[in-house]
Amino acid sequence: MPKKPEPKVPVTPPEQWVDLYGDYLYGFAMSRLRNPDAASDCVQDTFLAGIKALERFDGSRDIKFWLRGIMRNKIVDQIRKSIKENQVDIEAEDEALLESFWFKYSGIATTNPDPWQFNPRKHYDNGEFWVVFEKCIAKVKDPAREAFVLRVLEDQTTEEVCKAMDITPNYLWVLLHRAREQLKISLEANWTGKDAN
Amino acid sequence: MLTCKQVSNALSKEDYEKLPPLRRFFLRLHVKLCVFCGKFNRQVMDSQDMCRCYKEHEEELAEHRPKMEAGQKEELKAMLASQSK
Repeated sequence: MPKKPEPKVPVTPPEQWVDLYGDYLYGFAMSRLRNPDAASDCVQDTFLAGIKALERFDGSRDIKFWLRGIMRNKIVDQIRKSIKENQVDIEAEDEALLESFWFKYSGIATTNPDPWQFNPRKHYDNGEFWVVFEKCIAKVKDPAREAFVLRVLEDQTTEEVCKAMDITPNYLWVLLHRAREQLKISLEANWTGKDAN
Repeated sequence: MLTCKQVSNALSKEDYEKLPPLRRFFLRLHVKLCVFCGKFNRQVMDSQDMCRCYKEHEEELAEHRPKMEAGQKEELKAMLASQSK
């Protein structure tokens, strides 16, 4: 019988997972879900799924990242669940945007968006900027934030997000536009290092 | 040459960095020159750049994120111990 190859990285026993990876996974879940109860449910489900799937762990990467991979699916499930509980209704303002001439003609919301008050690119190497950026994502209102997390941060396809949220691709575009807008306003208000450089 | 609608559609479906090089080149060219959609779609591309960069920096953010409470950890440990037996 062929022998199972030894994992390239040591397998940490599940009893140590909470101490070693609990905070890391909880923080990651909070960055996507912003709800402490949902985040701890997610961590718990991840560990349980990890124990069940441990035999399939091939050791090609650190178990922390393997568990994070499992958790990404749990996060998507949690967001889907929350969307089902609070059905997404299209707002009048968004409906008007979808019906507007510019959107139908060119697929854009306006020809003249407000320019950035500072150049964010200059701060990409500053760790503090990303801490503020993450806080600003959490301030985006649902369902725009949920659409943003699924589509942009979790790399779900347009079709998958539309199916999960029960919306059209055009409305997903509006939600992502709203998320970008709110994120920009929030970053301009909260990033204190914008005057540097 | 791409139309404004094609550029907007491409940007709404995919991160522009994932597009084939030639299509990416024409998309960039259109956004640079277009007086109608240039400003708007430039911001969409900037936002895609920013999110890509955020994901690259995510690991460094772990220490700034909220931590689990001690009580929650103990409950979880007990639950895992019972499951892994």
